[in-house]
Amino acid sequence: MANHQLTSLIRMANQIAANNTHIGDENAEAEMVANHLSKFWARSMKAQISEYLNQGGDELTPIARKAIGLMSSAG
Amino acid sequence: MLQYFNPKQQDFDKDYGTPASVSENLITLEIDGVSITVPEGTSVMRAAALADINIPKLCASDNLEAFGSCRICAVEIEGRRGTPASCTTPAEAGMKVTTQNPRLGKLRRNIMELYISDHPLDCLTCPANGNCELQDVAGEVGLREVRYGFSGDNHLQAEKDHSNPYFSFDPSKCIVCSRCVRACGEVQGTFALTIDGRGFDSKVSPGQNQPFLDSECVSCGACVQACPTSTLMEKSVIEAGQPEHSVVTTCAYCGVGCQFKAEMKGSEVIRMVPYKGGQANHGHSCVKGRFAFGYATHEDRITKPMIRDSIDQPWREVSWDEALSFAATKLRGIQEKYGRESIGGITSSRCTNEETYLVQKLIRAAFGNNNTDTCARVCHSPTGYGLKTTLGESAGTQTFDSVMQADAVMVIGANPTDAHPVFGSLLKKRLRQGAKLIVADPRRIDLVKSPHVQTQHHLTLRPGSNVAFINAMAHVIMSEGLEDKAFIAERCDTEAFNAWRNFISEERHSPENTESITGIPAAELRSAARIYANAKNGAIYYGLGVTEHSQGSSMVMGIANLALATGNIGREGVGVNPLRGQNNVQGSCDMGSFPHELPGYQHVADDAVRARFESAWGVTLDNEPGLRIPNMFDAALDGTYKGMYCQGEDIAQSDPNTNHVQAALRSLECLVVQDIFLNETAKYAHVFLPGSSFLEKDGTFTNAERRINRVRKVMPPLAGLQDWEVTQALSNALGYPMNYNHPSEIMDEIAQLTPTFTHVSYERLEKLGSIQWPCNEMAPDGTPTMHEESFPIGKGHFAITEYVATEERSTRKYPLLLTTGRILSQYNVGAQTRRTDNQIWHDDDVLELHPQDAEDRGINNGDWVGIASRAGETVMRAKISERMQPGVVYTTFHHPHSGANVVTTDNSDWATNCPEYKVTAVQAVKVTEPSDWQQRYRDFNQQQLGHLNKARLNEPRSEESAIAGK
Repeated sequence: MANHQLTSLIRMANQIAANNTHIGDENAEAEMVANHLSKFWARSMKAQISEYLNQGGDELTPIARKAIGLMSSAG
Repeated sequence: MLQYFNPKQQDFDKDYGTPASVSENLITLEIDGVSITVPEGTSVMRAAALADINIPKLCASDNLEAFGSCRICAVEIEGRRGTPASCTTPAEAGMKVTTQNPRLGKLRRNIMELYISDHPLDCLTCPANGNCELQDVAGEVGLREVRYGFSGDNHLQAEKDHSNPYFSFDPSKCIVCSRCVRACGEVQGTFALTIDGRGFDSKVSPGQNQPFLDSECVSCGACVQACPTSTLMEKSVIEAGQPEHSVVTTCAYCGVGCQFKAEMKGSEVIRMVPYKGGQANHGHSCVKGRFAFGYATHEDRITKPMIRDSIDQPWREVSWDEALSFAATKLRGIQEKYGRESIGGITSSRCTNEETYLVQKLIRAAFGNNNTDTCARVCHSPTGYGLKTTLGESAGTQTFDSVMQADAVMVIGANPTDAHPVFGSLLKKRLRQGAKLIVADPRRIDLVKSPHVQTQHHLTLRPGSNVAFINAMAHVIMSEGLEDKAFIAERCDTEAFNAWRNFISEERHSPENTESITGIPAAELRSAARIYANAKNGAIYYGLGVTEHSQGSSMVMGIANLALATGNIGREGVGVNPLRGQNNVQGSCDMGSFPHELPGYQHVADDAVRARFESAWGVTLDNEPGLRIPNMFDAALDGTYKGMYCQGEDIAQSDPNTNHVQAALRSLECLVVQDIFLNETAKYAHVFLPGSSFLEKDGTFTNAERRINRVRKVMPPLAGLQDWEVTQALSNALGYPMNYNHPSEIMDEIAQLTPTFTHVSYERLEKLGSIQWPCNEMAPDGTPTMHEESFPIGKGHFAITEYVATEERSTRKYPLLLTTGRILSQYNVGAQTRRTDNQIWHDDDVLELHPQDAEDRGINNGDWVGIASRAGETVMRAKISERMQPGVVYTTFHHPHSGANVVTTDNSDWATNCPEYKVTAVQAVKVTEPSDWQQRYRDFNQQQLGHLNKARLNEPRSEESAIAGK
């Protein structure tokens, strides 16, 4: 069965990253995205996306990957 | 000496004859020996009325400019010849006025005699009897005879017009005072009425001597309210007679928040009359607020709690106790089985602040998680995010009245004359005074060109290109040096500004370079930017055409950037003004409906904030945000979200991608719906808790200008309980005690926990009429204009808003872009307005498309058209319209069977998940039958109505029991 939530979460994370890629500093961008996720995402959503990253996170864009990594290590 | 210059001291039930003057120069005159001081520019009539000297009048009313046609108000002024009309004569310093003497008495009687010689003398059976100004004035002037007789030429046989569903027009009663014509023009701004003919032939004519219903009339009712006789009269009054008492309350339709006098007979509303003391509407209203209240007592109202184990079963009517304990047991059972986070709830933007506050409190305290969200998610959540980031507060900056000081107004993605009609009328009034207008909208909305209103620029941008457009506007302002350097230096964060300036100055944002994205000719965009930036006061008003996009939040920030860059913040006439859709969208956001924020936009992760709530509520609160509505649906489909309490929102109809929503709702083990009707969502529910309409409860609504208005109960709740009482009872059944006796106690708790509400209480609301938050130690009477001296975050923050194209774009398969919206006569999902005579104007949703697109597809007006997107397909009738630009089609979502949201997708705003209702790639083709979805919908709907009818037939209707926990 397709995992609806995860599909949405991947898309959302990539979209957040796409809308924060303007500063030219990848670390700063990842930090903004990580802050956004930690401020607005539910516990279960954070857990799922972190788990997905741990399993490879193939469909995540580079900034999204970095951000989720940051968020997981902070959380 | 009498001093009357404080408008707040007005008696709002009294008609002072002419409008108040706002002059600060005071002058003193003498009327009938009484000395009175008034602002310069006040008419003699108004000055006299302020001293309670009431000069008879017929054509004058204080919401209209003086007209001077009836001459009943003639007075004598020392040193002047003749008998000037007191309504058109400005009071002057030292003037000595006589309002009553034998000469004036005779003059007035003579005038009345002429009027009455051509007026039916059926006063006892006339619907205006008891509230007729003509009759009153005849009494005041002492009319005793009509020497002309009644046999001459007259209008007594004039034909009546009953075409409008809400009021009748009886020209035989007309005295041609022109109050209706002036109200239609001056107050409403529609100019549908005129006086046709001259002299004896003069008559009121809708359109070009058409029936009201066929004319341009928008049925706002301003003419009915203005009529001094029974010429224009509510049908409800004709039927029931004059009301005997009235209660001031607040409309439950759009975010304007008009106040009304609910005029009553016992517990029956006879008519709603907009209240002159309403600080958002000043005595005006639209067709919905004034006339479309009949839904409250519609036969579809459900007044008994109902339960069932599965949605395939008929409903069973049960006692409140049984329904609540059934719901509590089910919800607790789900939590035991699937975990604490497996349930949640949705608060309503139509219910009161107090009710919304209680629902989120129940979720956080009794459910023990933060899975709370509200329908603001799908409309204005980007406003909250965007304005908080840039200006520091999740709210609009102005009062509605502020628009009367604006010199240039930019309306972006909003259609005020349809969706916020009373504000639309005020805006048109300002435009008639000469303010400039820029409209940015893919559609040619009425504001673009209407009587005496002509926009300077209609920027027909392509759906989905908002951010490219707003960046181009900012680029022009910065590259042409039109910014307000002093404001930026003093009020804005320098580092953020510098970064933004570098970003926005890049050539790629120029109108020339973005023209291919936005479709707006560069020269036109430059001209529009100059108009806005060079205006003394530039104001931006925006709606869901800004927020409901994949970059909704970016666009809101882009708008705030523009206002900051031009210094258009912090005074009257300027600002960033979100036009909120529903009556209490602002309030539901303020009250902590969002999963990450406690009331007052205080983040759940803030330990100090949480500690205050924990101590007041006596529970431990989760420090992580909960699920948003779309996340709830996803989790439901994955089997981790199983129960939901939904108050006053119809997610099955209003949320995008209906197939997805329906599947999610079907997967729930317990859905508790609290509503006044068995709405689309309730068809998937296991527990139905009957709600109460705004007429049946006490509370407050907060409108789009942050104004907290009182809602007052005018009739008992049909189901016995107000909504807040139901939530309280559910909470008690869940084992989390709530013991409020009145909504005022809930507001006291809100004030205690919400820094922007500290000084709000029912007592102060009674005293002040309404309060615009923030209302606290720093602003004890509230805050009409925000950010006057500083921002809640200190300095204004320029946000970088990169344009990222939406993934939803036209393709060969789906070459058209669908955008959805609203129309004047219907409201949101239509649950209320569809159950009124407003249906006469819009009984079905239609697909509007450009003649070229229609021709390419062989589609004629009225044809069935299939509209397909990657999400689903539905069928509607076509309406060919040049309001549309080629390639863009439009529809509304007011009727469930039309399935507009079957077509919309799950694309959403990057920051808030607000759905992208405004951009869906579709194809339209001529078809001959309804879509599969519509056929399934018809079957399911019939089945569910059958389940409802079974409940109503099988159960004895008199059973009632005390409510749990009360």
